[in-house]
Amino acid sequence: MRGALRLGLVAGLVAAPAGLAAQTEDEVTIGFHAVPALIQVDPVPGGGELSELRILHPVAMLGATSLDGYLTAMAMLNFEGATIPDGELSPGSWGEGFVDRRHPHTYAHEFMVSAWQPLRAEGAVALSFSLGKGFVPFGSDDPMTRPILRYPVNHHLSQILERAVGIAALRIGPAVLEGSLFNGDEPASPEDWPRVKRFGDSWSGRLTLWPAAGVEVQGSYARVASPEHREGAGLDSRKWSASARLERSSDAGQLYAMAEWARTSEGAFDFSTVLAEAAARRGSFGAAYRFERTERPEEQRLADPFRSARPHHDNSTLGTTRWTIHSVSLSLTAVDDWPLLGIEPFVEGSLAQVTSVDAGVFDPVAFYGDDQIWSLTLGVRLAWGQRLHRMGRYGVATGPSPSFEHDAPQRAPAMHQH
Amino acid sequence: MPVVARSLLCLLLVLGVACGDETAPPDNAATTIAEVDGSGQAATVGTALAAPLRVVVRDAQSDPVAGVDVVWTASLGGGSVSAGVQPTGADGISSVNFTLGPLAGQQQVTAAVVGLDGSPVAFTATASPVAAGDIALVKEVPIPPHYGIHDTFVRDGLAFVFAWDEGVYIFDVGNGMSGGSPSNPVQVSKTVTAVGANSPSPSVHNGWWFHAPGGEKRYLFVGEEGPGLVGTSSTGDLHVLDVSNLAAPLEVATYHHPDVDAETVGIHNFWMDEPNQILYAAYYNGGVVSFDVSGTLSGDLSSRVIDEIRPGGAGNTFVWGVMLGPDGDLYVSDMLSGFWQLGTAGGAMSPLAGGNNVTDRFGSDLWIHPDGAVAYTGTWGGGSRMTGNQIKVWSLDGSGAPTLSSSVTVAGVSTVSDVEVSSDGSWMLVTSEYGDGAGLHLYDLANPLAPVLIDHYPVASPSGGLHTGTTATIAGRTYVFAARDPAPGGPALMIFDVTDVIP
Repeated sequence: MRGALRLGLVAGLVAAPAGLAAQTEDEVTIGFHAVPALIQVDPVPGGGELSELRILHPVAMLGATSLDGYLTAMAMLNFEGATIPDGELSPGSWGEGFVDRRHPHTYAHEFMVSAWQPLRAEGAVALSFSLGKGFVPFGSDDPMTRPILRYPVNHHLSQILERAVGIAALRIGPAVLEGSLFNGDEPASPEDWPRVKRFGDSWSGRLTLWPAAGVEVQGSYARVASPEHREGAGLDSRKWSASARLERSSDAGQLYAMAEWARTSEGAFDFSTVLAEAAARRGSFGAAYRFERTERPEEQRLADPFRSARPHHDNSTLGTTRWTIHSVSLSLTAVDDWPLLGIEPFVEGSLAQVTSVDAGVFDPVAFYGDDQIWSLTLGVRLAWGQRLHRMGRYGVATGPSPSFEHDAPQRAPAMHQH
Repeated sequence: MPVVARSLLCLLLVLGVACGDETAPPDNAATTIAEVDGSGQAATVGTALAAPLRVVVRDAQSDPVAGVDVVWTASLGGGSVSAGVQPTGADGISSVNFTLGPLAGQQQVTAAVVGLDGSPVAFTATASPVAAGDIALVKEVPIPPHYGIHDTFVRDGLAFVFAWDEGVYIFDVGNGMSGGSPSNPVQVSKTVTAVGANSPSPSVHNGWWFHAPGGEKRYLFVGEEGPGLVGTSSTGDLHVLDVSNLAAPLEVATYHHPDVDAETVGIHNFWMDEPNQILYAAYYNGGVVSFDVSGTLSGDLSSRVIDEIRPGGAGNTFVWGVMLGPDGDLYVSDMLSGFWQLGTAGGAMSPLAGGNNVTDRFGSDLWIHPDGAVAYTGTWGGGSRMTGNQIKVWSLDGSGAPTLSSSVTVAGVSTVSDVEVSSDGSWMLVTSEYGDGAGLHLYDLANPLAPVLIDHYPVASPSGGLHTGTTATIAGRTYVFAARDPAPGGPALMIFDVTDVIP
């Protein structure tokens, strides 16, 4: 059955644009993005404060469209493996063997090809197929494209990325239904590629509605086989996500807001998150706020207290902690010579409250020396050429049908973007 | 919000205003610090230097100053000092003992008092590597990484390898049935046990090949370790394989422990009283369970449960392992409540002594010296306690009651995961994980209360090492069979010849 689905996906990708009679103008775009940032955190694991200057989100992008936009390709190289090989200082972050540091993403971050086929006039009903390495249709947008620089703790609860994924999507007016097959294993280092032999051992579905101009609501579910053990001997995940997103633009400025809930179950373990964030921009000035309450597993730390063993040796945890974080960001667009240069300095601060939510043997106060953790980031967003696209949606899932589109601008969500 | 304030101060630094930590003024009387002796010594990696390192603190008149806190730091090589802060005595001298780290070459310790001339004082020592060939790796058997190998049981020239989702491997390593040897293990069979009620996969963890009093060798007991929350809950069932035909084991019985205090309960290590046909099993938050395993075993073993006990009580019990001492008492290593002595009467258990005696670290494996007067327990991981880098040495009095005698630090590791004493009591093997010092460690037990490291075989990784080890004598030579973690190098059964190393 899965084999048939795999073949169907590939066949669909090839066949979808075949019905188009006329080829129009092709387009290729490139872009670069990076954020030099000074990060200070107090306390870090083991106590005391730590400051680091790092280059975050160093990416190079290539986008191409053909057949009047019905065939698109996007590629993103991410150089965090070189700039933050030991991760980004980020209390609460976890995943891929990093704890309290965000792991570097893989060099080959995203390589996706999408083809879509209108089934009725003006694309009111349309079908698309996407294939490559990228985001699974599940959850909300990738944090890299959102207003707060620091990744939320819920990254591994609310997004599934860097997988070999095949996606079929059907759009009917203001609704899109997506289904995907992908490999469950997450990368363990920046050089890792998805394990091809595991392609199809995991699947997801997402329903998205655009009920009003600039308003997007989604609900999604995923079954992920052994994400934390690449050979497949780890626990499987069941994941749920629901979110609502608003984006408005007027002469007075721009407004963005998003609220989400997500939950991941692994065996007897359950981890939930709620997050709400908003951003506003008026003229050159931008401000953003995010509230997050997320549960994460606590695993045995290694001699480096920012790391846990991968692959792990069993399926036990030390406990669960709940991270309640308030984050505020202020930014100034210093240069906005789009589509060329963009320079945006910013300052960002957050306060996290850490509590243990079950028995276990992990005591946040004993480990950190405090249950409140401050962080402060000073940085500059630098962009040249193509700006970051909205990461996590492909084909017809990028927006409603054209008949709705005039009321629902679909440009990238982050307020700093073009 | 100190971080913000400091950040703003540091921003001012850009404008030419200095920022930084304030330094406390030195002791009014003390002015200088200098080495007395101790530098330039040499020893084998992982061992203590013969002489202490000493500094003297003096005032402006060159008179010794007492009561000055000297900060001692092992700054190069991963070693450890006996005290991080050691005040000077009446003679102005502060001294520490230095145990070399696992890295061969030059190692360094500094002694510092802020503000004194001569501070810091640097001591160097030369760490010589363990002589190559002392511990000889004779065979490495890769195990498929699902996730890997967890434990090994060796008896009658057969090695039973408990390999998680791969199940149970049986190798002939000198039995003769398949012509195998330690340097050429021959696989006899591979069996995947059933998946327990709360496990996602077979998760085969450990085992014991039961030799019944009448000579029957029919049953292999297998422990399954499912997901758990350390200190609170666990999962995993007991499985019984009929190994009458070693080439085709057959699962014949199982036991699923019911929940306790609304938490799931799973099995961990176990020990057998073979003459009395009683299996004692550690059950983490379920404590210890004893089973009558006489006669034919089949189906659900619930009716075979003799007794259960949670020595630390509810919320303070998470038992790693059990072992019968030569006196017939059962010793228990509880990750939370420490080291216990239990009385046994036909499998009925009762606390006799010990408990709540290890509070600085979480307990792990245990072994009772065959003389019955000394015991050893390992330590595990982290969490809210210190890293598990010690072997606890216990003195057992005439009644077998344990008293902590000393702690042996294994440099450069985060978990001491397994300990085992040789049948003659002359030496002990220890396996360790997570760090530059991880691997196999052999200790001389000429004085059982004072183990002395005689050799170390590094299997080092920040995220692995050797998880377990056991010893066996085959064809007149002594071997250690050890389970290598996925890191470094992938899971493997490592077989070492230690004949020329041990006493």
